Amino acid sequence: MKGIFSVLVENKDGVLSQISGLFARRGFNIDSLAVGETERQDISSMTIVSTGDQRTIDQIEKHLNKKLDVIKVRRLEETRSVLLEMMLIKVSYSLTNRASLIELCSVMGAQIKHVSAKNMVIEFHAAPDVISDFIELVRSFGILELQRTGTICMAKD
Amino acid sequence: MNGAEAMVKCLEAEGITRIFGYPGVAIAPFYEAVYHSDSIEHILVRQEQAAGHAANGYARVSRKPAVCVTSSGPGATNLITALATAYADSIPLVAITGQVDSSLLGRDVFQEADMRGSTESFVKYSYLIKNADELPQIMKEAFYIASTGRKGPVLIDIPCDVQMANLKKPFSYPEEVNIRGYKPNTKGNNQQMNKVIAAIRKAKKPLLCVGGGVILGNSEDCVRSFCEKNQVPLVSTMMGIGVLPKAHPLYFGMLGNNGKPYANRAVAASDLLIIVGARIADRAVPKPESLERQVNIIHIDIDTAEIGKNLGPTIPLVGDVKDIFERLLAEDFDLDTSGWIAALEEIKRNTVDHRVFSDRLVNPMLLVQRLSEKMDDNAIYVADVGQNQLWSADNYVMKNGRFLTTGGMGTMGYSIPAAIGAKICMPNLQTVAVCGDGAFQMSMYELGTIAVNRLPVKILIVKNEFLGLVREHQEKVYDSHYSGVRLYDYPRYDKIADAYDMDYFTCNTNEALEETLDRFLACKGACLMVCEVDSANNTK
Repeated sequence: MKGIFSVLVENKDGVLSQISGLFARRGFNIDSLAVGETERQDISSMTIVSTGDQRTIDQIEKHLNKKLDVIKVRRLEETRSVLLEMMLIKVSYSLTNRASLIELCSVMGAQIKHVSAKNMVIEFHAAPDVISDFIELVRSFGILELQRTGTICMAKD
Repeated sequence: MNGAEAMVKCLEAEGITRIFGYPGVAIAPFYEAVYHSDSIEHILVRQEQAAGHAANGYARVSRKPAVCVTSSGPGATNLITALATAYADSIPLVAITGQVDSSLLGRDVFQEADMRGSTESFVKYSYLIKNADELPQIMKEAFYIASTGRKGPVLIDIPCDVQMANLKKPFSYPEEVNIRGYKPNTKGNNQQMNKVIAAIRKAKKPLLCVGGGVILGNSEDCVRSFCEKNQVPLVSTMMGIGVLPKAHPLYFGMLGNNGKPYANRAVAASDLLIIVGARIADRAVPKPESLERQVNIIHIDIDTAEIGKNLGPTIPLVGDVKDIFERLLAEDFDLDTSGWIAALEEIKRNTVDHRVFSDRLVNPMLLVQRLSEKMDDNAIYVADVGQNQLWSADNYVMKNGRFLTTGGMGTMGYSIPAAIGAKICMPNLQTVAVCGDGAFQMSMYELGTIAVNRLPVKILIVKNEFLGLVREHQEKVYDSHYSGVRLYDYPRYDKIADAYDMDYFTCNTNEALEETLDRFLACKGACLMVCEVDSANNTK
């Protein structure tokens, strides 16, 4: 199963390494990890997506809570949260398939941020599974480079 | 007032009177401040790891956080094993390490080691102090963190220039601590509590399994009262030895693959297992999954993360064990366990212990039994690691003293420095360190600390000229291919004892054991006894 954790932590040095170290040490998976400041300068927010059986996901929550620099852990339900991820992807094109790539971006709501003679840099933000779908759609064009930010997440109420 | 002076002030405010350590240039300002302190005595050990173990022994006996101090770099890294040992057994320590000047951090200068990074998984929390004005707050927090919730070591790494920097604000030691990410849960949840009470009420064959958490939570008395009031029998893990005396009619031994077979059978025969302050580690419960299927389990622990880590309990209850057992004591359960206790006594009588110990030289089972029977009622017995530890745990006759050992990390060389710490804390209590000839040689440098401080610590070496537990493993698993485990007949222990002005005793027959133990225990000063056992002896 998937575990999505929204974690508020002290915005101090060493906290990210404490959290990532915890996952490494206890053999928990990190599917994605996104970190940034919140509206308060002294608090950072981490969104951690992990997979494992029920007991592992429960243990992750408990061990996160045990860290003194962790202020709050929330476990988010995928269906009752807004999930968002951003991606930059560099895709190659030729004169024959250029129009269809532009059309695909337009249909999916992706923005073309830069065009050169042989490739385009496309920005796309969407739910993580839609991002994965988009990657599959452009794969046949030729992916030259790809960067995903990791999921950020917020409960709907 | 500079940072170092402020630290010493903080230690005084915490009521610290002894610290264990080893100085170096990076911690020299702190040592200068200790020099001027009227109330803090520094005990110089002979290697930094021993400072951590000595503080460990001191903390366990005083039941308060103890302090160890080292310099930067190798001095600090030498401490890491002791921190890991304290962390695994949840012992409250405040470890202070000197660090290179803050302007040099990260430049790999002489004796720089990243202590926060390298101890991350072995401490409950750590600090690198960059501003002397933060010191009072951080020291207060460190003692609070070490001694509350699930106890453990806290590291304070302090650059030399911060020790020397003057405080800009007037010194004041905070009264309170408020860490927003740390609010240890001490009161058991009422709803869970009611479930626990209902389950105990229904139980026909309840069994308590106690771990080190009961002792760390200062709750031996109320757990014992609970057992006696409700006639609930009890087994313990290695770290839980001492909650009930061995002769207590409700005590059914140490469980686990190094424990009493009848204790394990008792667990399997129970219908409700109440686990208190124990990790359910592999040596105590080798197959937790099968236990889950067999019996109902209540798991009581101060640490939420222990619940479900190794065992999926039927009823979890998180909270302070003393609070929980005081509330349980107030309940009337009206249990009739007389049939169950009779059944356990039957199990105990009928479980044949197949182990046979060699009577060539001294029988190790007899040694531990007779030693512990002869020791004072409230004596402190510190067992090291190896065969001696398992023989000790298995055969120790607990009265009303303390049994100290490192069950979690299993750190060889623990017993001598830990006994030093315990003895310094409680000078009037008879203190005996029992170790193998392997573990002794890992810490024999601490005989210097014993001699200089005139500590009447008794050390008993169970000598078999092997790293016995590994030899036993090689015998069983590797077809007796003894690889790297022979110690041979060195050192000459009489000369070691002589070098440190210790009285020396030796024994190599069962017949001479009684008389030699009597002389060893009657000896007024520090003394060393070598007891030779047959190297063919195994633990099981």
